Amino acid sequence: MNTTPKWALRAVVLFYLGVLIGLPVTFLVVKALGHGFGPFWSEVTQPNALSALKLSLEVAAIAVPINAVVGVGAALLIARHKFVGKRVLDTLFDVPIAISPIIIGIALVLAYSKIGWFGAPLTRYGIKVLFSPLGIILATMSVSLPYVLRSILPVLTEVGEDQEQAARTLGAGRFRIFWNVTLPSIRWAVLYGVTLTIARTLGEFGAVLVVSGNITGVTQTLPIYIFDSWDQRFDVLGSYSGALVLALISIGVLAILAALKRREKNLLVDFA
Amino acid sequence: MSISLSHLTKHYAKTRAVDDVSAEIKHGSLTAILGPSGSGKSTLLKLISGLEKPDEGTVTIDGEDMTHVDPRHRDIGFCFQHYAPFRHMNVAKNVAFGLKVRKRPKMEIDERVGDLLSLVKLEGKAKSYPSQLSGGERQRMALARALAIEPRVLLLDEPFGALDAVVRAELRQWLKELHGQLHVTTVLVTHDQQEAMEVADQLIVMRAGRVVQSGNPLALYESPATDFVHEFLGPSTIFEGEVTRPHDLELVSVHQGQMKGRITSIVSLGFEAQVTVELSDATSTWVQLSRNELSAMGLRVALLVGVRRREDVDG
Repeated sequence: MNTTPKWALRAVVLFYLGVLIGLPVTFLVVKALGHGFGPFWSEVTQPNALSALKLSLEVAAIAVPINAVVGVGAALLIARHKFVGKRVLDTLFDVPIAISPIIIGIALVLAYSKIGWFGAPLTRYGIKVLFSPLGIILATMSVSLPYVLRSILPVLTEVGEDQEQAARTLGAGRFRIFWNVTLPSIRWAVLYGVTLTIARTLGEFGAVLVVSGNITGVTQTLPIYIFDSWDQRFDVLGSYSGALVLALISIGVLAILAALKRREKNLLVDFA
Repeated sequence: MSISLSHLTKHYAKTRAVDDVSAEIKHGSLTAILGPSGSGKSTLLKLISGLEKPDEGTVTIDGEDMTHVDPRHRDIGFCFQHYAPFRHMNVAKNVAFGLKVRKRPKMEIDERVGDLLSLVKLEGKAKSYPSQLSGGERQRMALARALAIEPRVLLLDEPFGALDAVVRAELRQWLKELHGQLHVTTVLVTHDQQEAMEVADQLIVMRAGRVVQSGNPLALYESPATDFVHEFLGPSTIFEGEVTRPHDLELVSVHQGQMKGRITSIVSLGFEAQVTVELSDATSTWVQLSRNELSAMGLRVALLVGVRRREDVDG
């Protein structure tokens, strides 16, 4: 085949990626570090920025494992069992992707406000959901719910039930089948789903903004801190610096995934 | 260990995959469940293994009612059609799986895995992954994995279905020898009558979820209970309105035949030749001859011949 179209295609793709991602990120780096590393570092280490970063990481540390477990469980349920309402369940998991996060935020406010269905009884027991980290965790879990399930489900269907059934005839119980047979065969899908979930969790803005009440130093996650610096406090350097930190964390997560994948490939021949 | 199936029925949605099946499988036998696709033979195998639960009927292994026993406690070795290797484990770990589940000491496991790998001729492949094996090797690995737990019964679902013809013939012979060594009661499912006739000492022929006939292969071949069994178990043709084996017919001179007709085609398949004759009653039949018979008789297309049953066959 002629190599010209291949080069042309590559150029188009690179240009497209450059315009969409490369250039903006480059500008971000230039702006954040434009005055040198010192000003960047003092922006990043000021108390409100640090508390926002800490809150974001805490929320991720809680939301990601829960969503990973729920996602794996739901995927197994949908792929391996027959039950009434399966299709409805499957579709419900797509709702967070289909609707705008701000709608999820508003819905949560309606449900958990002092007069809401869940909010009223919870308030009686002194549990405050809105304008507190708990609300942020709930909102974040909602928007990042589908990623693990959607990464695993096609792989689980593709792998099929044969290996699990073989393990069963060899005497393995449910727990052993899950750990020694099912999980290893979907581990890359799980890791991929978890990576997406982490990225989504750290980046969530709309839903969190609505439920958090944006209380500086208390309910400000990193994305909200970045927006607040930019829009309310006119602290552009603070905003750029926060944004760069957030971007680096997400890129770091992706890099770890890529490295793990490469290591795995060296150890094992790919199962084609 | 003998297996006894009694009035087994299994529905999927509205179809009866297995319909009131009863059968006896003798201790130490090598039984083939034979039938066209969709006849319910694989479902029957899954019912024996417990991977599927029957709607009605019972499965008894060695006098013990197993109908409601989970497959993990049935002590059966099951080989799946596509072998179902654990793809993330190497060959040795695949074979060791059932022993690890049974918490055998490591020394014993290593020794047994070594023995099994030499039994299935995979000694050099212990550290290979399933993706690095050929189809035949995967099949043998699956067999070793199933045999590791010293099953009471070995069940094989279309064991040679996914292999090419040469490997298939080798493995068939090897399986038969292996069965001769181990004497483990074995049930295999196949749609290939030649495979069934060659390997098995008992046949269960199925059609549309039911058992049509069972017994030893030669008996079924010689006296099939229905036209379906007749046609399914070997080459067949119709002569004087009856289903007949084409090698039970012979060609003779016109006046000696039970019927006369004109040769319309001659196909040579190495040692065997198939001669098609259009008979005087406007039906058509074919006769199987050896190459020597064909050349000795000087047959050619358009020749008028007589057709009759061979005397030593039709008493």
